[in-house]
Amino acid sequence: MLVEGQLTYLYCVADREPKIKEIEESENNLYFVCHNELYAVVGKVEQSEFDEEGLKKSMADLEWVKTNATLHERIIEQIMTNTCVIPFKFGTLFNTDDSLKAMLNEYGEEFKAILGRLENKEEWGVKIYCDTEKLKAFSINDEPEILKIENEINSCSPGKAFFLKRGKTELLAQVVNRKINESGQESFDLLKELSFEARINKLLPKEVTERDDEMILNSAFLVSEDEVSDFINMVDALKVHYENKGFFIDCTGPWPPYNFCGLSKQKVQNV
Amino acid sequence: MYNVVTKSKDVTLLEILDRVLDKGVVISGDAVISVADVDLIYLGLKVLLSSVETMEQLRGAPITGPMQEAR
Repeated sequence: MLVEGQLTYLYCVADREPKIKEIEESENNLYFVCHNELYAVVGKVEQSEFDEEGLKKSMADLEWVKTNATLHERIIEQIMTNTCVIPFKFGTLFNTDDSLKAMLNEYGEEFKAILGRLENKEEWGVKIYCDTEKLKAFSINDEPEILKIENEINSCSPGKAFFLKRGKTELLAQVVNRKINESGQESFDLLKELSFEARINKLLPKEVTERDDEMILNSAFLVSEDEVSDFINMVDALKVHYENKGFFIDCTGPWPPYNFCGLSKQKVQNV
Repeated sequence: MYNVVTKSKDVTLLEILDRVLDKGVVISGDAVISVADVDLIYLGLKVLLSSVETMEQLRGAPITGPMQEAR
C-alpha cells in the first residue's frame, strides 16, 4: 500500500494474526503486514505530521501528543488481548510497507526470540512516592535515637537544647533518607522475587508527575500470568505496610511489555 | 483483590507517556525513516505535563533530572 504523502506507522509486532477488525480505533486505517512469519500492526499517517520536520512541530503541540500517544497505547492494548506483542516506541515510521518488510527480515529472528520469551507474561508498573514531611512525623515517634534526644532536650539547659535540636534535625534527615532507600529497595526486591524480570527506571521529577510528593521508585516487572495474583497481593501487603508512613504505591497493568523487549545491544550497534 | 487492574482509559497520561515516548523497541537502519529522538521526547513530555506557570520555572532547567539509571 503506497499512498502519496503518507507514511507507515508501526505500532507493534506479533507472531499470531492480530484481530484488527475488533479494534474500535479504525480512523488510522489500521491493517497488518504479514511477513517472515510475523505480523506487523500498522496504520497510515500523514507525512506532514510525522516526518522528521513534522514531528518536531507536532511534538510541541500538547493536544496532538496527548491524542496520538494515547491512540498508540490503546491500539497496542487491544492487539495484546489476543496475542503476545512487541510494542514499538511512539513514532516508528517507514516510507513504504516494503521498507517495513525489510526490517522484519533484518530483525525477524530476534523478534521471534523476544516474543517467545514474553509468551504468557504481563508487564506491571510500580511507582512509589514519598511525602517526606509525613515520613518525618512518623519517624520522630518511631526511632529510639530521636526519642532519646527529644527527652534530653526537654530536661536540659537552653544552650544545650539548641545544639541537641540541631543534632536532632540532622539525624532525622538521615533517618528519613535511609527509610526512603530501604522502602524502595525492599519493595522492589519483594516484587522482583515474584517476577520473571524487573527493571528500575528513571525517577520523574515533580514537574512531570505534578504530584506534591516525591517519586522514590519507578519500576517495571515482567510477571507470569499465573503469578499475577500473588504479585498484586504483595503490592497490597506493601500498601498496608507503607502507606501510613508517608508512602504512596501506585501499581498499574497489565501493560504492553515496553520495558522488556529490548534488542540485544550488539544488534543495535551493528545497524 | 484486582482493584489495581487498570487500562489506558483509567491510568494517567503520565503513565502512558512514560512508556510510549520513552520505552518500547527502537530500531534503526535504512528501513526506518524516523524515530522521535530522546531529547525531543523529554522536552515534549515536560512541555506536555507542565502547566503554563511551571513552564516558566522550567525554562533554563536541565532537561534530564537526577535519576536512578536503569540497571
